[in-house]
Amino acid sequence: MADMSRRFPAFLVLALLAFMVLAPMAGLLNLGSLPGYEMTDLRFWESAYLRRVFFFSVWQALLSALLSVLPAILVARAFALQPDLPLRRALLRLFALPLVVPAVVAVMAVVSVYGSDGWLPLGRSLYGLNGILIAHVFFNLPLAVRLLLPQWQAIPRHHWLLAEQLGMNSWQRWRFLEWPMLREALPGVVLLVFMLCLTSFAVVLTLGGGPRSTTLEVAIYQSLRFDFDPARAVVLALLQLGLCLLVAVVTLKLQRLPEVEIADSATPTPITALHKALDIALILAATIYVGMPLLSVLIDALDGPVLSVLSSAILWRSIANTLLIGLSAALLSVSAGWFLLRYSAGLAYAGHTRGARLVDLAGSIVYVVPPLVIGTGMFVLLSPHVDVFDWVFPIVISINALMGLPFVIRCLGPAMRQNHARYHRLCLSIALFGWHRFRYLEWPLLRRPLGLAIALVTVLAMGDLGVIALFGSPASATLALLIYQQLGAYLIPQAAVTAVLLLLLCLVVYALLERLVGGNSDAAY
Amino acid sequence: MYSFLRGTGKGLALLLMSFNLQAAPPNLVVYTYDSFTSEWGPGPQVKVAFEAKCACTLELVGLSDGVAMLNRLRLEGANSRAAILLGLDTNLTAEARASGLFEPHRLKLQASALPGPWRDDTFLPYDFGYFAFVYNREKLASPPTSLRQLVDDANGASILIQDPRTSTPGLGLLLWMKAVFGDEADQAWARLSPRVVTVSKGWSEAYGLFLKGEADMVLSYTTSPAYHIIAEQDSRYAAAPFSEGHYQQIEVAGMLRSSRQKQLAGEFLEFMLSEDFQKIIPTTNWMYPAVAGDTLLPAEFAELIDPSPALLLEETQVARERKAWVDEWLEVMSQ
Repeated sequence: MADMSRRFPAFLVLALLAFMVLAPMAGLLNLGSLPGYEMTDLRFWESAYLRRVFFFSVWQALLSALLSVLPAILVARAFALQPDLPLRRALLRLFALPLVVPAVVAVMAVVSVYGSDGWLPLGRSLYGLNGILIAHVFFNLPLAVRLLLPQWQAIPRHHWLLAEQLGMNSWQRWRFLEWPMLREALPGVVLLVFMLCLTSFAVVLTLGGGPRSTTLEVAIYQSLRFDFDPARAVVLALLQLGLCLLVAVVTLKLQRLPEVEIADSATPTPITALHKALDIALILAATIYVGMPLLSVLIDALDGPVLSVLSSAILWRSIANTLLIGLSAALLSVSAGWFLLRYSAGLAYAGHTRGARLVDLAGSIVYVVPPLVIGTGMFVLLSPHVDVFDWVFPIVISINALMGLPFVIRCLGPAMRQNHARYHRLCLSIALFGWHRFRYLEWPLLRRPLGLAIALVTVLAMGDLGVIALFGSPASATLALLIYQQLGAYLIPQAAVTAVLLLLLCLVVYALLERLVGGNSDAAY
Repeated sequence: MYSFLRGTGKGLALLLMSFNLQAAPPNLVVYTYDSFTSEWGPGPQVKVAFEAKCACTLELVGLSDGVAMLNRLRLEGANSRAAILLGLDTNLTAEARASGLFEPHRLKLQASALPGPWRDDTFLPYDFGYFAFVYNREKLASPPTSLRQLVDDANGASILIQDPRTSTPGLGLLLWMKAVFGDEADQAWARLSPRVVTVSKGWSEAYGLFLKGEADMVLSYTTSPAYHIIAEQDSRYAAAPFSEGHYQQIEVAGMLRSSRQKQLAGEFLEFMLSEDFQKIIPTTNWMYPAVAGDTLLPAEFAELIDPSPALLLEETQVARERKAWVDEWLEVMSQ
């Protein structure tokens, strides 16, 4: 019975996901009869240009993922081993910010730091793979740190004690304690960062130096917008999906689920003073790397007309819309993710590891279907029946929820699996089900990762420009859209102010959600 | 879920409508690009001015650009709420006409300010401008004086341009090169390519990078310096006059066949050509008004360069060749 209650909601979520992705694609493929639309031939693999685009997409995404995640392991470890570091919590919140920065602002920020008049000028060599990697690491290194850090918290206290008694050195502790724990989360984080970089658009186009550095996402955009060739866009989107599936299969092969014990967790103290100095140096380096572009945005904003931006009525309406979209998307996304993960945790516990992975994968992989494709497809399906203007918010919210799902799965997945493995039998024996199980067992134990997931998806949706520009409605401006409008009207100083407001708002919302949902625990992660 | 979403949709829409719930119908819906509807664009002033005359509500819906508007209309077909589409440029009019969605305007463009005659009976122009490379006088002492010099001088100025697939000025430069170099445009692109610092997604990115000092020149409009002169009292920026002439962009509006507000739509088009609308354009859209008039332009516009001769390819030729030209550009630029 308990099994049914897990399976049904999860299947419902999976069916909804499939519907949200496949129905719009089918809608687009079905467009043959539109006025002025003729289907072009789909033999685009014969185009040398598209072949180059394909390889470049994969190459830059792989490099970006490695350059983001490998240093992130070191930085996350340093954070884990230095629980008493001053400003630790503030730094970790800072690390949630880059993901929120709208692409165009991030490009400007990277150029402020590394451009020819920047603080660390790279000159023309910035444009090309260098610039793309710098920007992608700026976005994704801090994200990977946030997602990997909880793995250290999951190491039981007596393991650390045992390691100390055995006189293990740092390498041995890494090899026997930390690495086995990390292997559960690492492949998923690599895959997520890979997907984020694969679908990167404005960053790659602008910092890439020209069409030689282009991603498939650009080709999809071109097909759907410029050439108005929906069939080709759908085929390219499916190609991108297939590619990600392939990468997912490879990375998840490396995944090992560690044994779970019933034990409380603790953070260890580092072995030597040299170690502590090294950890601090690592954290400092990462903070400088992440902080410099953010600082440059802040400096630009302080030069700008702060008061005139603040006194605009549009700004306040945009803030309200931004919050509405962010919070609703996060709630929807976390609920969907919860049901998926509850099911996959049960599967993993019962030994069906492959099934568990498939469920998690289904939740994450939808990320790579471009929002433009889903949005346009939904438009095609809805517009004959309803007034799409009434639907702008639900569509924007549900697409943002979809885009947030992989983050929910990464944040919550390991914690829910461990929780299930530890307490499922206990729950069965004392007949703790449903609401009571959530209230008395899952909520107290899972509220921290839940808080992280909700906070992350909220700020992510708050910074998203995505589909809102596609539907367009006079009342639906968001802060990200406002920034683009200001930039388009020569109001570059104003845009810098709005960008900082967006970042501050995200910081506040993030801290509040993490505190309210995650609880007031000191061992922040 | 369906009814839930639908409920939320209606609920949210009502919530948002309560912000501007004043007027009784009729409601005239105009699709345009979102920099037109933004607080700093012409939209807010146009709305006030037209509503003062028409006893109607003008609803300006901002979509990302001309291509997005046209695609949206194609998808909506006869169900569209829009009565007017405002913001296509002449590179899209042939396709828009072929879609069969538009209705002749039956108006005459009196006192046109355009360099050539206007013969289009479906679309009416509301403003126009010329593409140009903008530079900072303090940083670049001797800018190129022709497109040919820009292309051929291997030690010449570095430039920022936009992608013709995602940006109107980007497409404008592609056509400008075709207009000047004809069948040898691909070789010209190959010679220019080493000095292209980057090709951005949109105008904003390129212009922002230019102001940060990333290149000597940026592809923009001859009217861009007017913004800096008027709004920032900064006269460092100038457009470089090119001897071959400058490629033109004419922005137009058209009336939709499916609309139930044709009377009102006609009134709007007439209003669009009136002084009340036209005088808003120069300092909000930073373009030239389509109608000639002594009082329409601020004095500072006299400081701008003379872009003549105006270059413009046939709209049918653009519609026919655009895809092939973009592919050719991609091939050369991705070497």
